[in-house]
Amino acid sequence: MEETALYPPIEPSNFDLIVIGTGLPESIIASAASAAGKTVLHLDPNPFYGSHFASLPLNDLVSFLQSQSQSQSQSQFESQPSQTSDDYASTPLVTRPLYSALEFNSYSSDPIDSSRKFNLDMAGPRVFLCSDSMINLILKTEINQYMEFKSVDACFLSDAEGKLENVPDSRSAIFKNRSLSLPEKNQLMKFFKLVQGHFGSESEEDKISEQDLESPFVEFLTKMGLSQKLKSIILYTIVLADYDQGNLKVCKDVIDTKSGINRLALYHSSIGRFSNANGAIIYPIYGQGELPQAFCRRAAVKGCIYVLRMPIVAVLMDKDGGAYKGVKLGSGQELFSSQLILAPHLTIPSTLAPAEQVTTCHDVRLSDTKEKVARGICIAKNSVNPEVANCLVFFPPRSLYPEQITSVRVLQLSGNVAVCPSGMFVTYLSAICDTAVEGKKLLSAAMDALFCMPISGNSGNSETDNLCELTEGKPCLLWSTLYIQELTTFQGAFHSINYTPMPDEHLHYNNLLDATEKLFQEIYPNEDFFPTISVSDDLQDDGGSEQDP
Amino acid sequence: MAAPPARARADYDYLIKLLLIGDSGVGKSCLLLRFSDGSFTTSFITTIGIDFKIRTIELDGKRIKLQIWDTAGQERFRTITTAYYRGAMGILLVYDVTDESSFNNIRNWIRNIEQHASDNVNKILVGNKADMDESKRAVPTSKGQALADEYGIKFFETSAKTNMNVEEVFFSIARDIKQRLAETDSRAEPQTIRISQPDQTAGAAQAAQKSACCGS
Repeated sequence: MEETALYPPIEPSNFDLIVIGTGLPESIIASAASAAGKTVLHLDPNPFYGSHFASLPLNDLVSFLQSQSQSQSQSQFESQPSQTSDDYASTPLVTRPLYSALEFNSYSSDPIDSSRKFNLDMAGPRVFLCSDSMINLILKTEINQYMEFKSVDACFLSDAEGKLENVPDSRSAIFKNRSLSLPEKNQLMKFFKLVQGHFGSESEEDKISEQDLESPFVEFLTKMGLSQKLKSIILYTIVLADYDQGNLKVCKDVIDTKSGINRLALYHSSIGRFSNANGAIIYPIYGQGELPQAFCRRAAVKGCIYVLRMPIVAVLMDKDGGAYKGVKLGSGQELFSSQLILAPHLTIPSTLAPAEQVTTCHDVRLSDTKEKVARGICIAKNSVNPEVANCLVFFPPRSLYPEQITSVRVLQLSGNVAVCPSGMFVTYLSAICDTAVEGKKLLSAAMDALFCMPISGNSGNSETDNLCELTEGKPCLLWSTLYIQELTTFQGAFHSINYTPMPDEHLHYNNLLDATEKLFQEIYPNEDFFPTISVSDDLQDDGGSEQDP
Repeated sequence: MAAPPARARADYDYLIKLLLIGDSGVGKSCLLLRFSDGSFTTSFITTIGIDFKIRTIELDGKRIKLQIWDTAGQERFRTITTAYYRGAMGILLVYDVTDESSFNNIRNWIRNIEQHASDNVNKILVGNKADMDESKRAVPTSKGQALADEYGIKFFETSAKTNMNVEEVFFSIARDIKQRLAETDSRAEPQTIRISQPDQTAGAAQAAQKSACCGS
């Protein structure tokens, strides 16, 4: 953008920490480091905040995905002659493509015409449980002042016939549920009580035995006499298992009873935590991209300097020892810091690194997980369930087709969370997969179950739209995209250079937050990860001085 | 979104969110601190540590709680978060009468506002540092007035240092917003969820009252 040329040079030129990329983990670290009194410079080559965690207008989302996908990446991977400044060896920074197998389908021009009215999450679907550790951090850092939320009104589980069944996630929901039999209601009620007793009671008798805690959760649920349907509900909508727990031989994430009941307890403590939230689950108005922005503002209030639209062309290394020194910006300016944090799509190619550097670098390699996450975004004019605006839908393993081994998770949002124009609905889908083909098969099957596809690619034929909606009773797609996101993360680091984690396959931020906190503690072992703010700190709402005129 | 007057125990009739926007160094934070705390200092170079300030004023018998947000230094490289604009009801566009480029940039800031803020947000143009010697002035009052007229907004020249027109600016925009809200109030906004430490909501307000005297 032309504004970049007008930027004044960045001052000072030395920082404790330079962070590149404004994704959620980078933003949290910038915020935590600033809170710990470090001088921090936070850069992003993009014109928007959030990197891979951003919420973007429709057209911007499309071009960002394209710019970060494999088809475009070759030229960026070509080695440039490493320009050497007088004092430092300069290693070019290259972009690693995170997305592949991009697919866009437009059945109507309506969404694209109102592109700017969308705030589409790059890393959806994602929601908060009211008791999630991320919510606790939002409260602790007081960025709750920057955010507003809405309740996700309902959760549905798709049964084998493709019917969406309401998830009875609380006692009152069990009571109101119409699809469960009376014995099932009693079983579930009894089980919820059992878990509550385990956590709430002093008496050893109420505790679940150690042996049971270590056993697979699915076996414990069977032991407690829960029906197949109830097991599915607990395993895939509350505990959020990715893999088929009913086939422990091929299951890659066997959930033990201990983590199962912990998740259940977290879920139940979420209900009623905030008096104005209807259920356990909330979603931020204007999209998940508000979250990294909120941490960035927090960091800025604590003195962190922000520069967007600023490419970083090279990393500067000490000529003798190969130690990290600083970065060279697209503007030509060279800046220095003790520590560098890179977003996961950036990398320093080891083949290009001078020999001395290779000897000093730890094992920088991709972790051996080959899993990917398939993501999809659908835009439709009607809700997948006419009674609710914002809801979650779960397709557990084997519900879509017999060979389905992982869950597909779906989040539908309406205009009331300001992510799309009113009168439209945005639906996010995701599933973990080994290959792009498998991932697309999973999401396509879920999309087929939820939507009907217009027959002609031509848009605007409302008669066929209506026909399609009338005959199948499903909302008609206006626009959709599917893409495959890498999950591999760099392990290890150069001295003083660290990588943040990329968006994971989960519906929540718990794992990302753990990884981010760990990264912060590795860099700053002697600092608190956000020290507790005292009440006298005048940044609280109502904390500013008041005076009458 | 004005808080409903009927809200239990509300200490105000209207809650108004205002933003300060303009180039670095035009005195946004000074205007804010002058208005909220009655203080003036030239000691800080860039904005560190100011998130927002609160001051409750009275207009036509109504208590109006002004929540005034500062840019947190993110204006320096044009990196204000889009989130900053969310829910803003009024925006003070500030330039420095001794710095012509800060005046010329007002148009860029207005474009920014049009992109990110809601369409009906109230705006007011503020030429700050009007106490400076006339020899240093780079933007005549007439030019400021002409720009304000072009956009159909009100215009004030202020001095955070001498407290000239500071009250007037904030009261003026607050009055306009209050009037707008009063006219459209009947339209019930769907409730959003604001989260807070459940056990602290009551206590925090009290604690804040106590600490009000030692605000920076």
